[in-house]
Amino acid sequence: MIETIAASRCPRCEMVVAPPASYCPHHPVAMTPATLPGVGELVTFTTLHTPPEGFRSPLHIAIVELEGGGRFVCHGTGTQGLKIGAIVAIEAIDDIYYFSHLGALERARLFWRRAGHAGDRVNAIARSLAKRVWKGRQRAAS
Amino acid sequence: MPLVFVAGAGMTRIGRRSEPLPELMADAAQVALGEAGVETPDAIVVATMNPEEFLGDGNFASNVATHMGFADVPCLRIETATSSGAAAVYTGFAQVAAGLRRTVLVVGGEKMTHLATPRVSEIIGRSIDPYERAYGATMPALAGLVTRVLMSRQGTTAREIGQVAVKNHANGVRNAFAHFQQAVTLEEVLESRMVAEPLRLLHCCPISDGAAAVVLTADRGRVRVAGVGHGTDTLAVRHRRELTSFAATRAAAREAYAMAGFGPERVDVAEVHDAFAPFELISLEDLGLLPPGKAGRATLDGDTTLEGRLPVNPSGGLKARGHPLAATGIAQLVECVWQLTGRAAGRQVKDARRALAHSIGGLATNNWVILLEAS
Repeated sequence: MIETIAASRCPRCEMVVAPPASYCPHHPVAMTPATLPGVGELVTFTTLHTPPEGFRSPLHIAIVELEGGGRFVCHGTGTQGLKIGAIVAIEAIDDIYYFSHLGALERARLFWRRAGHAGDRVNAIARSLAKRVWKGRQRAAS
Repeated sequence: MPLVFVAGAGMTRIGRRSEPLPELMADAAQVALGEAGVETPDAIVVATMNPEEFLGDGNFASNVATHMGFADVPCLRIETATSSGAAAVYTGFAQVAAGLRRTVLVVGGEKMTHLATPRVSEIIGRSIDPYERAYGATMPALAGLVTRVLMSRQGTTAREIGQVAVKNHANGVRNAFAHFQQAVTLEEVLESRMVAEPLRLLHCCPISDGAAAVVLTADRGRVRVAGVGHGTDTLAVRHRRELTSFAATRAAAREAYAMAGFGPERVDVAEVHDAFAPFELISLEDLGLLPPGKAGRATLDGDTTLEGRLPVNPSGGLKARGHPLAATGIAQLVECVWQLTGRAAGRQVKDARRALAHSIGGLATNNWVILLEAS
């Protein structure tokens, strides 16, 4: 299930922030509401071995660049084999967002499950799939 | 604009201290005032980051001033997270440069070691964007996110990052004021406990107590404040396009060099904010002291050691001298003054005429660059 992430966009510089903010961080203008698909590219991630109070060790934290522009901070359930640039899906469990690394099969399943209700999101997933295939080809070529 | 000089500089030994914070700050201030030959300054600027949380005390400018016997001297407190000391220097500099005050005491300090580490991390972490904090982000976590990109996208190696800690510990051995006065090997750094992958324990600065002070004056002296620059960035790290370069440092450096009328090529010695070892590499490039992508190699080649082309963190840096938050930006200046006046016994950089101090507030949200020149 691909989540929809609430965000906001600056009418002046087009910067997108998630979760939404009243003002653009770089301009004193009101932001307009936006929604982003919960799919994106992993910008970076870390694992804390002595997390702050209220969190269990090991704690995985990531920054994901959502399709549509905003960068999002979320948790993960594991980082084994994970690389920067991986395409991940974001899921909310109890209002906490988690990323999960998508295999080709899961991605196809997601694609078909969403087809029918949300054309724009499907487009986003299709784009991400195309990007992944393209990257794979680039890697194979290099 | 009147020229501003550093008439006196002093600091306490950094480390685990039993004295109350006002006592530590008074000790540092007395050294600086004594050296300046000033009994009572015209004004006082106090830097502390979290005395309310660490100590339960507020109204800290009046607290410190009264404790030192300066209840009748105008005092105020300045805070920009971990760069509060540098921000206080700027405030004192501005007062003198504007002609509002002739002699200003700037004193900063922090006391943290009496609390357990998780509690200290939580208090320092309050300087992080609340949403990111809700996901468990601490300073080491954000530094880990930055370091991961530095290593996988810029090709910076674990050995290059580790060597920063090795070099700064080696300098700390020669500094009687340093929190850590023992050397570490590259193997020890590379094998130390993982804190926030890929960041390890020996990449991180310690939790320290201590205080530092400078006296700024319009009266001509041996060391002049040549330039002060201030740069800022978004509170949230996720709102930045670039993670391996800090816009706040670049802006602060531009402003400081422009005011000083000289550039990075004329800097002889630098104190750089190495709260996490990779930050020294990032900062050296942001400050223009080394070309982009070259700081790691230069560090491995020994260019930034005491004997190198550009000695960096002769004091031991935050890594070995220690990081008593609001004292740090001032302690960096104290080291620079000692280097420029030939008083850095055991770690003196030869013929140092121009020094740079660089301080990071939060995760590079509020940064400062201060340039000193021997006259």
